[in-house]
Amino acid sequence: MAENRVEASCWQKSGLSRPRNAPMNTQVDTVRRAVKRASHLLPAQGPIGVFVHHNTLHAFQHLPFEQAVAEASALFGTEAWMREEQYREEFSRGRILLEDIDAVLNSEANAPVYSWLDRVALRRIMLVPGVRPFHRSTIRWEIEEGNLLRSSEDRKLFEACLNSIERPPKPPEPSPRRLRDILLDTTGDDLDEIVHPLLIRLCSSYLDQGLAYWPMPDRRAGFYRCVRTLWHQRGALLPNHLRDLPAEFRRQMRAGMTSEEAVADALKRLRVPITNYERVITSELLALPGWAGLMNRLEHEPELAPHDRVRCSLMDFLAVRLTLTSVAALSLAGDPETLEALQTAPPSPPSLELDRLVEAAQMFEVAKAARLSADRIMSDSPLQLRVLLEEIRRFNEFERRRVWHLAYERRHERSVLGPLGVHRQSTPIIPSSKRPAAQYFFCIDEREESIRRNLEEIAPDIETFSAAGFFGIAVDYAGIDDAHGASLCPVVVKPQHAVRERPVTEDEPLHEKRKTMRAAWATIVRSLSLSSRTLIRGSLSTSVLGLFSLIPLIAHVLTPRQYARLARALNRWILPEPRTELTLMRTDREGHDISENLLLGFTVEEKIERVASVLAPVGLRINFAPVVIILGHGSTSLNNPHESAYDCGACGGRRGGPNARLFAAMANHPEVRQGLKERGIFIPDDTWFVGGYHDTCSDDIEYYDVDFMPEAFRPGFEAAKAILDRARMLNAHERARRFEAAPLDLTPEEAFRHVQERSEHLAEPRPEYGHATNAVCIVGRRQTTKGLFLDRRAFLVSYDPLQDPTNENLAKLLAAAIPVCAGISLEYYFSYVDNDRYGCGTKLPHNITGLVGVMDGHASDLRTGLPWQMVEIHEPVRVLFNVETTPDRLMSVINGNPSLRELVENRWIRLSTLDPDTGVIHVYRDGIFEESPPWKAPVPEVRSSMEWYRGKRGHLPIARVVGTRTRS
Amino acid sequence: MMSELMLIVILGAPLVMALWLAATWLAGLEPGERTISRTTAASFVVATAATGALAWTMYGSGWAPVIVDIGNWFAAGAYSFPILLVVDRLSLPLLALTVVLSGLIGSFSSRYLHREAGYLRFFLLLHVFAFGAEAAFAAGSFNLLIVGWELVGLSSVMLIAFFNQRMAPVKNAIRAFAIYRVTDIGLLLGVFLLHHAAGSASCTLLFHGIWPQQDTPLGAGTATAVAICFLLAAAGKSAQAPFSGWLPRAMEGPTPSSAIFYGGISVHLGVYLLLRAAPIIQKSPVAPALVVFVGLVTAILATLSARTASDAKTSLALATLGQLGVIFTEAGLGFERLALLHLTAHAIIRTLQFLRAPSMLHDHHRVHAAAGGALSRTGLYYEALLPINLRRWLYRFALDRCHLDTLIDRFVGDPILRIARRLTAMERAGRAVSVQSSARVLAGTSVNEVAGG
Repeated sequence: MAENRVEASCWQKSGLSRPRNAPMNTQVDTVRRAVKRASHLLPAQGPIGVFVHHNTLHAFQHLPFEQAVAEASALFGTEAWMREEQYREEFSRGRILLEDIDAVLNSEANAPVYSWLDRVALRRIMLVPGVRPFHRSTIRWEIEEGNLLRSSEDRKLFEACLNSIERPPKPPEPSPRRLRDILLDTTGDDLDEIVHPLLIRLCSSYLDQGLAYWPMPDRRAGFYRCVRTLWHQRGALLPNHLRDLPAEFRRQMRAGMTSEEAVADALKRLRVPITNYERVITSELLALPGWAGLMNRLEHEPELAPHDRVRCSLMDFLAVRLTLTSVAALSLAGDPETLEALQTAPPSPPSLELDRLVEAAQMFEVAKAARLSADRIMSDSPLQLRVLLEEIRRFNEFERRRVWHLAYERRHERSVLGPLGVHRQSTPIIPSSKRPAAQYFFCIDEREESIRRNLEEIAPDIETFSAAGFFGIAVDYAGIDDAHGASLCPVVVKPQHAVRERPVTEDEPLHEKRKTMRAAWATIVRSLSLSSRTLIRGSLSTSVLGLFSLIPLIAHVLTPRQYARLARALNRWILPEPRTELTLMRTDREGHDISENLLLGFTVEEKIERVASVLAPVGLRINFAPVVIILGHGSTSLNNPHESAYDCGACGGRRGGPNARLFAAMANHPEVRQGLKERGIFIPDDTWFVGGYHDTCSDDIEYYDVDFMPEAFRPGFEAAKAILDRARMLNAHERARRFEAAPLDLTPEEAFRHVQERSEHLAEPRPEYGHATNAVCIVGRRQTTKGLFLDRRAFLVSYDPLQDPTNENLAKLLAAAIPVCAGISLEYYFSYVDNDRYGCGTKLPHNITGLVGVMDGHASDLRTGLPWQMVEIHEPVRVLFNVETTPDRLMSVINGNPSLRELVENRWIRLSTLDPDTGVIHVYRDGIFEESPPWKAPVPEVRSSMEWYRGKRGHLPIARVVGTRTRS
Repeated sequence: MMSELMLIVILGAPLVMALWLAATWLAGLEPGERTISRTTAASFVVATAATGALAWTMYGSGWAPVIVDIGNWFAAGAYSFPILLVVDRLSLPLLALTVVLSGLIGSFSSRYLHREAGYLRFFLLLHVFAFGAEAAFAAGSFNLLIVGWELVGLSSVMLIAFFNQRMAPVKNAIRAFAIYRVTDIGLLLGVFLLHHAAGSASCTLLFHGIWPQQDTPLGAGTATAVAICFLLAAAGKSAQAPFSGWLPRAMEGPTPSSAIFYGGISVHLGVYLLLRAAPIIQKSPVAPALVVFVGLVTAILATLSARTASDAKTSLALATLGQLGVIFTEAGLGFERLALLHLTAHAIIRTLQFLRAPSMLHDHHRVHAAAGGALSRTGLYYEALLPINLRRWLYRFALDRCHLDTLIDRFVGDPILRIARRLTAMERAGRAVSVQSSARVLAGTSVNEVAGG
């Protein structure tokens, strides 16, 4: 109890400044700076319920891409590129051509090297036919027993190479090792394995959002104080090397330490010199990056926590981590002096002889491929040979993979821009004055490319457009079934307006009934699920209800679709949904402050603003169809903690249906239409907007407010809906070709059932493939891409350059599209090239923890990034932008926006333009736009998309679907 | 005759599948996913139909036990190892449970493990498990029960270590394996004792009457010794205190294997042993009390730990453990039928809960929204009655899973490891000496040779 009082009094004190001794102060300052710097290196993923795609290497974005991935690899121990054999495989199947390799090599500086070899020729040899990588641990075996040296000539050549290396390469500066590695070598005990189990459990319990029945006590005090309070008491049986933990916490408590002081103190106890603080703090934080990252994220944005806003601080995490580490390390080493001695002892130098053999083997391979004779090498001067050797060293495995990768991306670029140019040249854009039968708006998402194309193939007299899926409406929205509002807009935007869904007046009683029933349902479900985890109530509920759960168990597993249908029917029967409306009108200027300073609804002026922000850049000003359908999107799946990662990125990882509904409601408003006229947008009276929601997993489409549609529009709407129904069937068919479990000879109807089952099956780790295979973003008029089979790999942003003389629209579009697409593309890139460390590995052992994330199995770091099942069919390339504008206009936009400029200049995205008048393509390379060379290969022409993809599983080249054109 | 055949089909289906998969794997002809999933489905359909037919005929005959004597595996002098299968009112529901749940898990996994490198390995182990569990449930003698018991243990360990490229699954699998090995001694000893005392471990000889109204000719002393041995084995398999630590750690494999092993069948095998040996246990004056004690202690400790568990699978594993403790208690108190009912129902609901574990996030948010954004607070019932320091102490105690892991590590694991390390060091030192001396000898000869040359 006494200690408790001490603890309480030091909480009060923590706000006040206390006299501290000067050295401690500098230490604390150093600690603070180091933690701040290290915090940028941690994953930025928030709680998993809302998944936002972002550049995994955001912290390195200020560096050029190649340098960034190299530095990140060195720091995190990750892969930067695909493996060399993967590129070789791509080469052998023709995905990379020799001309690509040559083009990449020739674009870099050349220099004479040796004999007839210059740098380009040498590198070319090292790529094709290629040299094998050798390694210290296997080199002796390779030489003595492997098939490296097959003949006496080989041996002679190898000898010559070995002799030419006078001294082995200077070993790389030994990278400083973590204390854990030093102790592992000397004592055989793994410090992390002592510290992590407890630390993981503490983090998981501390951040828990309601999974545990008994929440962690004392959480309001912050992580460090909470753990200290809980663990300082005597009377626990702790693991051998953590025996002194309570005593250590008691000491810290008596000294009244803050977490910063505890960190500094622990570093001192660990005998870390102050000059090494940053390195040690960084490496300790990176040992459990997921948990540290979430603490850091929630420290800066506590509102991301879905239920309990716990007080988080990275410093607290570090204080606990280092306290545990110091206790365990001292126990392992025995006493502080040994600990210090171990750390200061220089690491034993690696055997240089092995490095020499590795070098010789590498050189031998080069010499053999370059047909350099042993005699020649032996007779040559060491100076000349040294240049050769140096060049070989420089073109190490990392560099080879870099060149392979650039060649891989170059082929991709050519195979996209080439056909795009051909298509543009062969189809003149004639403005049509005919009124289309219907118009459809989709999100720019690359998954919507196929449904748009299928729509256009079915009905040539319709038009499709795309805009970022929040449709210009940043809003805090709560549906009738939601407890709280959620932001439906890109994460960088903070909504100023709130919209609430509410039942229409006559359905209010129904809504009240529904609310009561749902609350009752929640009470039952909750008490059942809780009681099955308690002792006495659990005995009753498990023994009585257990037998009945056989029915849902069998139904879930064996007949998921029927079960889902039954559940929906029951739901409709028991809980009929009221018809609803949105509280989107706001008449007064200030509006009503509801919670968190949001304005309830939009004024007419604000609505005009929103509607114009979507229609103007698209260039849709006069020729409106009788029915315009706006589709937001999202994705439904079961048993999927990563569900949100499949939702709409432009809605902040949520479902975009309400935005589409809002947009339609705004655009149908007579006063809004009146106001739009002043902005040059003329929506005729015989046009009606309908909002809807497209489920990219089940291909279901839902329409909003159809009840309120005037009768006159109904036939037009039904016709537009029928076309869309056929298109989603075909869309499901096209999607199904990528699923190995779907036979290739399915009919569209069967394929539709197949994708529906995916979204309703408990056992499905791949409900859909999400953004996998995304590679391109095309900003321009649909006419430039209409009729191109883009294989669901291209984000499409509708933009009319002819109606944008000031580039104002382009600037707005790119300010949203480039960061979003780059974030998605780079997250997929990194999660693919190193799925274990940048991604979160296979989904199968994932275990939801604290409702904030997933661990592997029983206890592990919090896994961030994308699971293998989402990325397995991805092609890791940086997204290639093609913007329909001129290079000058594009660069004026890019240079006007520092964050875009950073992405472009540092090559995190690839950039090109399509001239609106001439159709000439320019490609951005290091600040200069080069005209893309003409594409000579024929572009395949097919009558329909299905003809092109039928029976094929892999990525497909771009084809021209000419059927639509001849028909129109 | 009909029912005998059915029983052989039930056991034969997974055995044939396991042997076939193992053989093709060894031969390097890995069958494709589709072949594996279809044959698996077929085998479980056949087994389910056979179970239905068996139940039907048994129902027709007034639940008379079905006995199949396949003959002796081997015999040596007075000892023989009979392969005797018995299905009575205790084994039938458990057999049916195993067939149905493994069939469902098979169907679930054929989709869940799609494109996973270990697809064949998983299904091989699933069939090994199904055969092992069925053999244990249908064993007519404790000798044969050991066979099934060990096969279940083996497949369990291999599935915990399914993702063997990471360290944690392998370590936790070894932990489970160690506990299994140590506690299985109880089963072996018990069988030895039975042979010693009664000359046989066959149920037909040991028990008279129809389960659960059975009697045994064993004396109280022998019965106590055997019961304690069996209790040790059962406690290990069902993760009772103090062996509980391995169960939450076993959540490393793919979700469906966690479901069938640690929610469904495998953890309930210990209960089955107690129920099968109920006449022996009840004959002893102390064993029932011991069983109740172990069960109660486990139930209380597990429930306490479960309250603080903050990840989906651990929370389910500890909840399972709590109920296992209750079922142990029921069995110890002599409520065999209740225990059987509880076991069956519990296995089903946990399997479903484990399969749905990745939905916990989704479910929680849905219930949260339906409840109007505020859920009833939990964890303030009994805890709130305690003084604050005691509450904190108890929380730590619960969060560290009642220190059971540490107890085993520090008082059993660490000392053994220390001895092993010392021995390794001695061996290394010894070898170094011998290498040095031989090097000296070699060096000496070459110098001599040079000198001589």
